[in-house]
Amino acid sequence: MTRYADTGQVAGDFYTNNFAKTAKEGSLILNLGPQHPSTHGVLRVIVELDGEYVLRAEPVLGYLHRMHEKMAEVKTAAQFIPNMGRVDYGHAIAWNWAFVGAVEKLAGIEVPERAEYVRVITCEFNRIASHLLWWGAYLLDLGAFTPIMYAFDDREKILDILQCPTGSRLTYSYFRIGGVALDLSEDCLRRIREFIPWMRSRLPMYKDLVSDNIILRKRIEGIGVIEPEQCQRYGATGPVARGSGIGYDIRRAVPYSVYPKLDFLVPTSELKDARGRYDVRMIEIEQSLNIIEQCLELMPEGDTLVKGAPKPSWKVPKGETYFAVEGGRGKIGVHVVSDGGKNLYRTKLRAPGFSNLSLFAEVSRGTILADAVAILGSLDLIIPEIDR
Amino acid sequence: MNALLAGIPLEYLAECDFAKTGQSLVAFVSAGSIVSAAKRMLGEGWHLEDLAALDCLEGFVVSYHFAHFDKPGRVTLRVLAPHDKPEVPSIAGVFEGAEWHERETRDFHGVVFPGNPNLIPLLMDPDMADCFPLRKDPKSRVKAREMLEAGEVVFISPSFTLMTPDAPAAEGKESGGAAATA
Repeated sequence: MTRYADTGQVAGDFYTNNFAKTAKEGSLILNLGPQHPSTHGVLRVIVELDGEYVLRAEPVLGYLHRMHEKMAEVKTAAQFIPNMGRVDYGHAIAWNWAFVGAVEKLAGIEVPERAEYVRVITCEFNRIASHLLWWGAYLLDLGAFTPIMYAFDDREKILDILQCPTGSRLTYSYFRIGGVALDLSEDCLRRIREFIPWMRSRLPMYKDLVSDNIILRKRIEGIGVIEPEQCQRYGATGPVARGSGIGYDIRRAVPYSVYPKLDFLVPTSELKDARGRYDVRMIEIEQSLNIIEQCLELMPEGDTLVKGAPKPSWKVPKGETYFAVEGGRGKIGVHVVSDGGKNLYRTKLRAPGFSNLSLFAEVSRGTILADAVAILGSLDLIIPEIDR
Repeated sequence: MNALLAGIPLEYLAECDFAKTGQSLVAFVSAGSIVSAAKRMLGEGWHLEDLAALDCLEGFVVSYHFAHFDKPGRVTLRVLAPHDKPEVPSIAGVFEGAEWHERETRDFHGVVFPGNPNLIPLLMDPDMADCFPLRKDPKSRVKAREMLEAGEVVFISPSFTLMTPDAPAAEGKESGGAAATA
């Protein structure tokens, strides 16, 4: 803690001072963020350094906190769907799904089969876009500028495709209670069919250009080892858990929608380090393409919204339910409690990034600061999701 | 699945329909037993998904959701914290990931968790840390049993009335109760 001799004031805010209380003599307290190129979005991490080594780290959250859970209490269930697109801008459709799915489960609403396939297609496309965003931004963190240009080129094509049915490019509010807002048009389906081989042709290039690159390998191999037992204690899920060898994917573990009918692999890595998490995400892009391709073949004709779908003023029946889906970052859980009134009584949003980031303090201990940044990026953080 | 919590002093244990409620087992424990219950869950390989409070007429129902990497199902442990003194011992010493969830619950509902190593505001601004945005207006609080899933009761402690309908209709199975309290 620094006290200015002339004014007697203490440097730093509440969090810095609280963190500095237990600092070692002679160590350096450094604030990374909330606006810093190495911290995604507005994450702030306070680190205590001994030379270049991290003695202790503490993420400080709340800079993007919007209290979505309170907003859920002042809107009807149907009016709350647009909020879900704004929780996680990386994989907005999965959040749409988690909330809509929870309400459907509580009300016992069956979704038409075509709508289920449309949901899977859009959700998987969004997952690829999310992984591409992570990939580009992560390499940017590590000092490689070019890959994000390639990643955004491909991601742009996905956004164009998703724009046809959803009408938006980032903060989707596409799902409805009982289906989706709009069917996939012929033009949209044609573009999807064209995109799949294109994306497949890009992946070997990504591998040659980036994944096998010696500089990247030296930055991420053996860095940030997370043991499966740590994943359990912190509740880490998604590619973070799978990168540590835990084959846990909600699409398989607690199957929902039409995923049981689809053939896909849940990739895991025994490396447990940043490289393991990297590999898992790269394979997931391929797997999502396989899923979309199968959906195009299996998709029946029919409605995409159940007849008599709830109106905005519709009241959710009394009761509670918990529904989880697999998002790009892990398990997205929504716990809804309804008293039968106009608005939901309580909506709890479980963000995967929240639990994944809570690991960081433990994993970063004893690493070099530059490696701590490599670990942070490998967790794939979307701050609005963590802060909610 | 009932054997999972054998030996832990429970107030209420019920099996639920997972397909409908997303929960396979719901148990109420007293605040004093939550740490030992959490230790059991850790030992059995369950992980903490999240932790959240619900402001009901009778108090804050703090729910701990647990899932397993290899087994299906979800176990919900619940603790009732009274409005006048909402305190639940921290389980951050068992599940480190609970530290942030507990801080969040303190921010939103003002439930405090003695034993949490760093119970400072997480999402709320430290300058307005005591405004508790998710606390309900006393007039709009609803009884817990009107909303929460009662499930198929396996065991209910005689003094536990939170989930019992106003007319007494608890169908406690004595054998399950004996196993849970043994």
